[in-house]
Amino acid sequence: MSKLSRIVAVGALVALAPALATPAMAAKPEVDKLSPTVVRDLHFGDALFYYYQAQDFEAITRLQAYRQWGRMPHHDAETDLLLGGLYLSLGLHNEAGERFETLLTQSVPEGVRNRAWFYLGKIWYARGYLDRSERAIKEVQGRLTPDLEAERLHLLSNILMRQQRFDEAIALLNSWKGRSDQSDWLAYAQYNLGVALVRKGLVTEADPFLTAVGTIESGRRELRSLRDRANLALGYAYLQNNQPAEAKPVLQRVRLDGPFSNKALLGVGWADAAEGQFQEALTPWMELRDRNLLDSAVQEAYLAIPYAFAKLNANAQAAENYELAIRSFDTETVNLDASLAEIDDGTMLDKLLKRDEKDHYGWFWQLKEVPDAAQSRYLYHLLAGHDFQEGLKNYRDLAFMGSTLSRWQDSIVAFDDMLDTRERAYAERVPQADAVLNSGRLDRYGAERATAGGKLDEVETTQDVAALGTAEERDQWARIVRLETALLAAPTDEETNVIREKTRLAKGVLYWRLAESFKARVWNERRTLKDLDQALREAQNRWVRVQKARSSMPNNTGEFAARVEALRLRLEAAQQRLAGVATQQNGLLESLARTELEQQKERIGTYQIQARFALASIYDRAALGGGAVNTPKEGATESQGELEIVPSEEKQPDAPGEVQPAPGETPAQGETPPPAEPPK
Amino acid sequence: MTGEPPADTRALDETVQDLKKDVVDLNKELFVLEEELLFPANTQVAVFVSMDIGEFFALDSLTLKIDNKEVANYMYTPREAEALLKGGVHRVYLGNLKVGEHQLVAFFAGKGPNNLDYKRGANLKFEKGVGAKYLELKITDRQRKAQPEFAIKDWE
Repeated sequence: MSKLSRIVAVGALVALAPALATPAMAAKPEVDKLSPTVVRDLHFGDALFYYYQAQDFEAITRLQAYRQWGRMPHHDAETDLLLGGLYLSLGLHNEAGERFETLLTQSVPEGVRNRAWFYLGKIWYARGYLDRSERAIKEVQGRLTPDLEAERLHLLSNILMRQQRFDEAIALLNSWKGRSDQSDWLAYAQYNLGVALVRKGLVTEADPFLTAVGTIESGRRELRSLRDRANLALGYAYLQNNQPAEAKPVLQRVRLDGPFSNKALLGVGWADAAEGQFQEALTPWMELRDRNLLDSAVQEAYLAIPYAFAKLNANAQAAENYELAIRSFDTETVNLDASLAEIDDGTMLDKLLKRDEKDHYGWFWQLKEVPDAAQSRYLYHLLAGHDFQEGLKNYRDLAFMGSTLSRWQDSIVAFDDMLDTRERAYAERVPQADAVLNSGRLDRYGAERATAGGKLDEVETTQDVAALGTAEERDQWARIVRLETALLAAPTDEETNVIREKTRLAKGVLYWRLAESFKARVWNERRTLKDLDQALREAQNRWVRVQKARSSMPNNTGEFAARVEALRLRLEAAQQRLAGVATQQNGLLESLARTELEQQKERIGTYQIQARFALASIYDRAALGGGAVNTPKEGATESQGELEIVPSEEKQPDAPGEVQPAPGETPAQGETPPPAEPPK
Repeated sequence: MTGEPPADTRALDETVQDLKKDVVDLNKELFVLEEELLFPANTQVAVFVSMDIGEFFALDSLTLKIDNKEVANYMYTPREAEALLKGGVHRVYLGNLKVGEHQLVAFFAGKGPNNLDYKRGANLKFEKGVGAKYLELKITDRQRKAQPEFAIKDWE
């Protein structure tokens, strides 16, 4: 799925992007979207930053963590929906489904609800959970856009057909009336309807639908491919119904250079052969023999050609061609064995993933480039097949998660070191802190501050102007006071009186100076006390913080240490489980690959036996002298001996629904082209 | 043939889902531990970047200084810039600061109107209290002047 589809698929659940980016635009009413939302919590925006870069794992982690810390109180509902979409994207469809079932209530706009159910249905379908997929699709209610409605019908009909519920599929497809501009969807619906009818044995009823698709004129690869598939389906249905004359023109409509041409050429040959036209049958079969022997139709042609020569009584050419077939099958068997050995060495997946970008993971990832490994050419169809791709996605996701956890393991070691360092630093600082805390210095400072405040109040009340003088002034004042005291006891004579007068004058001048600056000095002192108060408050706060840190530190460090230890154990356990499950996943994928190769080998082995048997039979007849004189027979049923060399497909051509572009897809699916690539 | 995946495939798919869920939860626990250990709430400071329409400015890089010390220098990839335009908010810096007054200076570089090189700065004095501090660098379009505007919002 393209990145755009990815954004739409998950984005439809929240439809936040435009609203967040451009509030003005988002104000336009849109029925399919949630109400316009602006980022009201930065952390929600941070999770979106990763979501919009398709880093879903990071986005989920952040959403969960931020929610735990209560950092996104305004985005609770969006967070739930976004998480649902992200779980889906990571392939956690069970978790996503459970969330949606509780989240997608009536309060969510119908359009958003429908889209959510619809995409959930698609993902369950792709994962093969058909019952859940059907339930999700049936939750879609009300009117959808015409294209979405068509896709819904397409998906539902595929679900029904994969469950062999052809009657219901027929009824559903018959009831759909597409619009004139939905010709692509109409073609898919007609194809599915035709295949469903064929599967019910109603070939005549299927004809108009498959013919309509089989005669579409289109330059588009997708539709041309559908056209070929319709013709192949109808052609083989006629062959199976013993109507070779009807089958041949239909099969001849298949393009010779398309992916279905091999099957078509084989079928045209069988249509001719069924009417006894072995000479004509040789033309398409000889064309087939020049093609890739890996294709089962080509392998069958290797047997069909000598069979036709034998029918035409050209036993020498028949024998020659059987020998060619045996040699070719031998070579392929050797190659298949080599490929099987490569799978057994257990490195197949790593080789497959080696060339792929490393940093991408999740549901929307697909292996786009088939590696140039020896087994690739045998596994091409398997690699393109659904089950294998799903398994490969899981394998990649597990590898990505494993590498993420490995990084955490490094971090855990660092956390441990950090806690050790903290503890050491703590041990070193505790004695210093305790000494300070026990010194009572802060209390003493507080008391001294109170004393100083009281003194200032007293000075101000008593207007003790000298108390706030400079040191020199205070010294002068003290000397004057001492002199005055001494003079009190001195005799009253002229000389002493002069001194008294000078003292009085000096005191007056000094007092006047002190009194003049007293108010300013009181103000300064008050300001100094205020500054001191602030410093003391700050010291008090720090003191409290130090006390708190002192008391909580052991718990805090211990709590972290316990968490680190617990997480380390979980990490180790998760790593082990990841490795175990990855091995299981690897084993499952390898067994799918091995089964595929063994089936190919078995088929070639069967053909080889048939070829040897037929060759022996020709030699026997030649030895008996009858082979060269035999006249061509009318039909295969006339010669029991030769019937045994007829590949089984002649007697039982594939059912129409089995005609698939990729042999890796199982016939009974009756699927139309993958829903992931709907017509644009 | 019902179209259901084979039993072993389905069972393994369920196991894989359970395991993925456990790993997702474990990853969250580790993320929480790391942040609480390295950036405790009482000293944490986080700087976020957001953009609106981006008509007049395409962000290339951003430099942050706190108290005259460079703390972040981030180059934006086109994918990241696109995520910003869609409404994502990037937490470009997470660190620790002491309680008190600090100054944040941000320098934005990119393409301005007419696709010309464009550099602008913004600064903010902020008070770091005892709780976590979140600051948002907002790049907005000023339609009337056809110019981008850079501002720093203090989220308290």
